[in-house]
Amino acid sequence: MTATPPVQRSVAIAGASAISRYGATWRGLARALSDGGSFPGVPAETPLANPKARNARKMMSRGAYLAAAALAELMREVGWSAAQREGAGYYLGVGASGGSLDDVTALLDASIVDNHGTREFSTVAFGEHGLAACNPLLAFQLMNNFTLAHGAIFEGLGGPNGALFSRGSGTTAALIEAVHAIASGDCERAIAGGADSATHPVTAAELAREGFTAHGLEVAEGAGLLALVEVAQLRPSTARLGGNDAANLGSVEAAHRSSPDVIQLGSVDAAPSASLGVEVHAQPILVTGCAIACGRGRDLGATIADAIARATEAAAAVAELDVVVIAGWGPPAVDASRTWARTHAPRARIVDVAALGATLAAGPALGWIAALDLLAASAARRVLVIDAGVDGDAGAALFERGGAA
Amino acid sequence: MTAVITGVGAVSAFGVGMPALLGGLAEGRAAIGPIQSFDARTFPTRVAGEVPVATITPAWLAQGIAGVDPATRDATIRLLAEAHTLRDRKIGFALLAAAEAWRGAHCGDAERDASLSIALGLEQAFLDDFGPIFTSPDAGGPREIRWDAARDSAVAEVRFRSRIDLAARAVGDLLALRGPTIVNVSACAAGSLAIAHAASLVERGAASVVLCGAADSMINPLGLGGMCRLGAPSPRNEVDACRPFDKRRDGLVIGEGAAMFVVEDEARARARGARIHARILGWGSTQDAYRVTAPRPDGSAARRAMERALARARLAPEAIGYINAHGTGTPLNDPAEANAIRGAFGADTDRIAVSSIKGAVGHLMAAAGALELAASLLAFERDVLPGTAHHRDLDPECPLDVIGPTPRPARVDALMSNSFGFGGQNAAIILGRAT
Repeated sequence: MTATPPVQRSVAIAGASAISRYGATWRGLARALSDGGSFPGVPAETPLANPKARNARKMMSRGAYLAAAALAELMREVGWSAAQREGAGYYLGVGASGGSLDDVTALLDASIVDNHGTREFSTVAFGEHGLAACNPLLAFQLMNNFTLAHGAIFEGLGGPNGALFSRGSGTTAALIEAVHAIASGDCERAIAGGADSATHPVTAAELAREGFTAHGLEVAEGAGLLALVEVAQLRPSTARLGGNDAANLGSVEAAHRSSPDVIQLGSVDAAPSASLGVEVHAQPILVTGCAIACGRGRDLGATIADAIARATEAAAAVAELDVVVIAGWGPPAVDASRTWARTHAPRARIVDVAALGATLAAGPALGWIAALDLLAASAARRVLVIDAGVDGDAGAALFERGGAA
Repeated sequence: MTAVITGVGAVSAFGVGMPALLGGLAEGRAAIGPIQSFDARTFPTRVAGEVPVATITPAWLAQGIAGVDPATRDATIRLLAEAHTLRDRKIGFALLAAAEAWRGAHCGDAERDASLSIALGLEQAFLDDFGPIFTSPDAGGPREIRWDAARDSAVAEVRFRSRIDLAARAVGDLLALRGPTIVNVSACAAGSLAIAHAASLVERGAASVVLCGAADSMINPLGLGGMCRLGAPSPRNEVDACRPFDKRRDGLVIGEGAAMFVVEDEARARARGARIHARILGWGSTQDAYRVTAPRPDGSAARRAMERALARARLAPEAIGYINAHGTGTPLNDPAEANAIRGAFGADTDRIAVSSIKGAVGHLMAAAGALELAASLLAFERDVLPGTAHHRDLDPECPLDVIGPTPRPARVDALMSNSFGFGGQNAAIILGRAT
């Protein structure tokens, strides 16, 4: 079992960014998921902050592009200085690689020969002609770590880091490492998230072959990032959620008190903010537990329960959860997560990110974003995100509104 | 808690097993040669540090995996063979190295809850499998990939690529591990980062035992071809293609293999009587945040990774007696690394021995840091520091005490291993002699 140790320093959320079917914003994501709101789709050309973006995109996989675009937005939101970025950690759950299809097609066209009526790939032809037909930087399109590295280069992130593959719990592992990096004093700021695209034809074809598409998996893509800081870094006088003023949130609190079974969400028409933290009523939003568990040799329900038990052991009782966000992919993972929630947290409302489609390594991170949206713009105080993948591994992350910054 | 290494396994161009690796290095040999595993005659690069097996077969793999329940071993290999994924050579290498490390540490049922922290390279693209579905919808028209056919069960053998975490799954299955699996895909820094992660898990009490390390092979058409397109390999197809820190260096040579370690809490290891190969004293990682295609020339970010490792180890620079450099032999890497070392170690630099084993076994990409850490154990096991194969004339731009091709007898109590990845990820690990 991998879990965060007793936290030496509390870790708070300083900002967030998301790209999903809901658009290039994180605010309002949970409301849209809860209420079946409209989904305009992933912006095709989300601009990067860096003017070199046009050239850069040629070199990147779609996942890398999404991550870089989300990171640019996040840096705009939190306003970290160059020196702060140089020390900032960056841990990212990433998916399979995917070269440009134009390059792959050109490469194959020059390398597949007819051999008595059978089309065969020829290594000899590939060496002679195929190599020259493809992008010189093809290798970088294929390297999974470029989903992390491209954004880090554009935004000047220079601290501890890791690109972790996720077909289940890898993205939650990225959160664990980012939280630990801050809690242990390795860095004062860190970014944790996930970015992935299932829209690459190779990935989509493989998902179809493995039977996921036939069972309702909807190919999608996205990115979600959280900016994390040691809680002492938040300044109460300036740390507040942009656009969600106290009066508005007060009315939400009142609505919640009058109807405790219903969580209503506050305004999501927030302008981008350079605030140092996301907080409500002078309370920061904390990451209070996260853990992953291995599914080998046991059923998914037991694995999920194991991960949750580890993530919540140092926090409030599971019975006090206000919301459970389900971020697993594949019907078995979603069903097992729902079963856990109904059994162990019957009071909690369930929010499912399935409406965003199968965003793979981005899914858990978008779940965290939904949790953040709920904590920032509703009366919810404690939200658990469950992440479970197709290989039976599971992750859990607990987010809470905590004491004064 | 202190993390210690109690088991090591390695697969390299010297062959399968740690004795082959340490023996080859101690004798100052190099193992670069013409590529045998596929027809590379038309490729710009035709030499590599290839593990001496042309095709990985179930029988070869089973024969090399000892000390594991034969039924579990055979079932694991059979599943891989049935899925046609043994073509991805790194999967077999990972199994061999993991089994050797597990066996060497005398792990058993009491260690099955171990976490697995493994670094893996790219998915291997099976370009052969595109052949049947690469056609023209119209007679004589341009050819394209027929994705509809790819989804058709009639071409069920089409795989396109191996899943990147397949080796991790196979290792977990082989050893019946019950702990969480984390797959690090941080390019050439990944192996070191996976080992650092394992040490961190143990140090912070999140795991008592971690099987960690890395496996990779880019010696396949797309892997080798992609590196050729980047212009990273030496243009010379000679056995001395890679000459780290030498004035004549002109590029890297690709290698393949794996190295795996059992890492556990020192008190636990001592309590069960396990042999301790080394203590993991410190580690650090940073990012260059510079360019896609080049390291930061002043080495400042790599220097910070080394300084972080020293700080975590609570060691002064003079405590380090040997640095196993990333030392790729490319024109840009080596002077940048020399700048980084001089920046981190200052006046102590001149008395620290430095070498790179990439001239002997090649650049193992994601597995480089893991294999090089295993190679560094030569210093503790035999009081010998590995040499730098094919290094002859020190480049003045790399003002370091570079060990030449002949290994150097020396006793050191602490050493550092560096790994720097494409994209700018840097890692440094410090090992201490077991006491």
